[in-house]
Amino acid sequence: MSSGSLPPGMKIRDPGFPTQRENYLTNSKGVLSWMFTLDHKRIGVMYLIGISVAFAVAGFLALGIRWHLFLPDGMLFRNPQTGNDTYNQVFTLHGAIMVFLFIIPSVPAALGNFLVPIMLGAKDVAFPRLNLCSFYLWVFGAVFFICALCASGLDTGWTFYTPYSTTTNSSVILATSGAFVLGFSSIFTGLNFIVTINTMRPPGMTWFRMPLFLWATYSTSIIQVLATPVLGITLLLLIAERVMHIGIFDPEFNGDPVTFQHFFWFYSHPAVYIMILPAFGIISDLVSVHSHKHIFGYRFIAYSSLAIALLSFIVWGHHMFTSGMSPLTTIIFSALTFSVSIPSAIKVFNWLATMYKGSISLTTPMCYTITFIFLFTIGGLTGLHLGTLATDMHLHDTYFVVAHFHYVMVGGTVVAFLGGLFHWWPKMFGKMYSEFGGRLSCLLVFLGFNLTFLPQFVLGSRGMPRRYATYDPEFAYLHQMSTWGATLLGIGLIVAFVVLMRSLIRGKPAPANPWGGATLEWHCTSPPPYYNFERPPLVGDPYDFHDLRWDEENERYVTIEPEREIVPREIPDEVTVQANKDH
Amino acid sequence: MHSMFPASFSLLGDYVPEFASFPESASTFAERNDSVYWYITWICVAFFIPIGYCLFYFAWKYHKPKGAPAESQVSHNTPLELAWSILPSILLIWMFYAGARGFLDQRVPPDGGYELKVEAQKWSWLVDYGRGTYHPELHILLDEPTRLTMTSKDVIHSLYVPAFRAKKDIVPGRYNYMWFEPTIASEKVSDEELKQAKAWNKGNPAWDYDHHQFTPEGYRFFDLYCAEYCGKDHSMMQTQVVVHKTQEDLDAWIKEKSTRGEVPMEEWGQRLYQQRGCKGCHSIDGSSGTGPTWKDSYGAARDLTDGRSAAVDENYVRESILNPKAKIAKGFQPVMPSYKGQLSDDDIDSLIAFMKTLSKNYKPEPDKRSAAEEQKGAVEQKAAEDNSTATESGGEN
Repeated sequence: MSSGSLPPGMKIRDPGFPTQRENYLTNSKGVLSWMFTLDHKRIGVMYLIGISVAFAVAGFLALGIRWHLFLPDGMLFRNPQTGNDTYNQVFTLHGAIMVFLFIIPSVPAALGNFLVPIMLGAKDVAFPRLNLCSFYLWVFGAVFFICALCASGLDTGWTFYTPYSTTTNSSVILATSGAFVLGFSSIFTGLNFIVTINTMRPPGMTWFRMPLFLWATYSTSIIQVLATPVLGITLLLLIAERVMHIGIFDPEFNGDPVTFQHFFWFYSHPAVYIMILPAFGIISDLVSVHSHKHIFGYRFIAYSSLAIALLSFIVWGHHMFTSGMSPLTTIIFSALTFSVSIPSAIKVFNWLATMYKGSISLTTPMCYTITFIFLFTIGGLTGLHLGTLATDMHLHDTYFVVAHFHYVMVGGTVVAFLGGLFHWWPKMFGKMYSEFGGRLSCLLVFLGFNLTFLPQFVLGSRGMPRRYATYDPEFAYLHQMSTWGATLLGIGLIVAFVVLMRSLIRGKPAPANPWGGATLEWHCTSPPPYYNFERPPLVGDPYDFHDLRWDEENERYVTIEPEREIVPREIPDEVTVQANKDH
Repeated sequence: MHSMFPASFSLLGDYVPEFASFPESASTFAERNDSVYWYITWICVAFFIPIGYCLFYFAWKYHKPKGAPAESQVSHNTPLELAWSILPSILLIWMFYAGARGFLDQRVPPDGGYELKVEAQKWSWLVDYGRGTYHPELHILLDEPTRLTMTSKDVIHSLYVPAFRAKKDIVPGRYNYMWFEPTIASEKVSDEELKQAKAWNKGNPAWDYDHHQFTPEGYRFFDLYCAEYCGKDHSMMQTQVVVHKTQEDLDAWIKEKSTRGEVPMEEWGQRLYQQRGCKGCHSIDGSSGTGPTWKDSYGAARDLTDGRSAAVDENYVRESILNPKAKIAKGFQPVMPSYKGQLSDDDIDSLIAFMKTLSKNYKPEPDKRSAAEEQKGAVEQKAAEDNSTATESGGEN
């Protein structure tokens, strides 16, 4: 940018590039420096690697499911004695790994760990050791799942419904112990973020100057801390029922199986919002940054996150509309369920209004954002058919439900996660990726996803029950469409992976602010220094883009500000003194 | 209503049944539920098209080179936001109301009507037609409200008839109820077609419903699925619903199924094996299932979990059916439910006769009496021995 275009009395502020000494990726070396790190950014990166492995495993299991269902009598697991059992284990592990090991920690633990302190303007989370502990609990939980897989598999579905789960021969205890441990990992992350956001905001960072991603993370953390203990108790009771027959869930010992469903969904419905709320946060930030326009209706979006977090606790009953609850209870849960759709709709309208009259850059993150809004809207709207009691009697436990929640969880959370990953990748690793490759992956994901799950809505309304290893021949062609779609979706995800990996080797160094974001992380170098900020940063409106200018020459955005002198209280002799002390 | 609102996902639906969005509408619930479904779908479409249009139109229209400032930086408009928060709620209230109305109708059965008991177990269905008549198929009467009282012997199942748009979980340890009123009778195929099918099926004990698309008596049927995951053969836990036009037709069918009549014991036993849930766990080809196989099992010695061993004879089989947890074969879980009160003595003897045909360990003794008489003798002998068990089993004798 030539200095001629600068308004008089203004100067450019850009942090430049980090030295190797400052860069959090390189400031200390060796495996141990990663394993025992207390740096939230490194923990975030380790989480990112972990959940990506889990996502890949569960993704291949999903392809196994789809290819098995290519033929009515099954195509992959054809052994007449064990084929159906194998299929049941595959779909159970797909669900359990995706939910417990991938989606729940995906945005909060991987992206959240990296971003929460840095967006907030803090040096780290409030409890760095608890943070590391949370990561190792995740690893420990994953080990339990691997043991369950190697022992006798798991065939209960990720929901562990009793009395099936108390009587089956598969490794229910190992898997539930794994989920129990993962629950603690989730609670620790949530607790850490609540305390961090409450206590570590720098001067000027008021609640309403927080980026919406932080509002979403804060709401998510509330759910994590309040709901996850219920899951822990439920799983312990399940283990006790299985081992000691305490007679709470198993009707053979005077228990009530529906009690388990109430307990389970009291956690697992809010957990759905643990999965989607952070995605809302990502999209709120992305849509504003890549439209270069102030987010529309900041307060409505922020409050709707909180509203969703609170409402999510009182709608769990809609998972049990057909289980024989009293009519009154059923109707109350139906009414409450509709109430939760309003805050979600508000967000969609606000995102569209943000794009209106913006200056939209169709970067990879923006393409994923558009994909998200499209897919999430379908996912949200089809929820109406399921919340309506009369139609739910037909659609409950069919592929309609499968399609609906995949539109929300994959079309919503996973797409937002990918969008967020592409958005913050230059910040996390200091490399730019191929925009063409990124957009191509987005297109493939969009097409593949719709081809996979749109036919499943029709399958469901035609009466195809879920969790079926074999099916009636009249459903075959829809299943086949879905299988081809899943394959295309898989290819799209692999393309995304290759694009990102390639950038690490061949990518151009990323500027501090490649997209023109106004939130605090863009005020750091890419990648950020290990200490995040030298001094508490200046905090303004996170969606005010007036001071940002595009620098064509260096392909970066820069901040312009009035010339002023920053007078430090004292000048440290050497910045690296602290680094040596820490490591 | 269906014809007025063609399926949004498959517009061919009205013209080509293969592409229809719904199965046949065969109960009083179907039309109403489908119209609610289509109203909601059209409301969704009415929202989705503008949203999708704006999404792509804005992305195209406001796509600008990097560095170009946005045309506006408006950050909020409270009346507009309140409007789009509150106005859609009215539609939600309508959906809730329509859904709750339809649901209450589905929950509250009218007085009178036809009552049946349904028993679900891994992985088969059994309908109790009263007076000791059981059959896996659900046979009901046209335009007659039918109320099902459902129990499960093991885990949670869910009875789902897509054509009736009705579904209800069956939770072990309690009764669950559902009702529906069928509005379309099952057609009967021509005798010739039935004959052809029987010829095709010859030698195969199990009737291939999927292949023929009608029952062994030649009735077309509606599918009945288990919709709650229940383990290995969850997807095989299907049966057929046949809607009879007249009471006489239905009664005749029930009568035919009620007793063994002239059917030989071995064949009746085989039929019971197919229909009463034995098949789900016990194979007849030697492969191991949830329970021990029946092949070569009669007459052999069997190791038990408590370390003893027992000979598989008539008494052992009878005890295993009526009190399955008394002796558990080594390597298996005590999961079999009791059939006490559900199988008559004649049924149990027929099953034993069928097991004998499967076992090379059983040698009929031709020098004494004919095989049939020998079995009869065995029945009498056993009836005397097992007097106490027989008394417990109640009024079935």
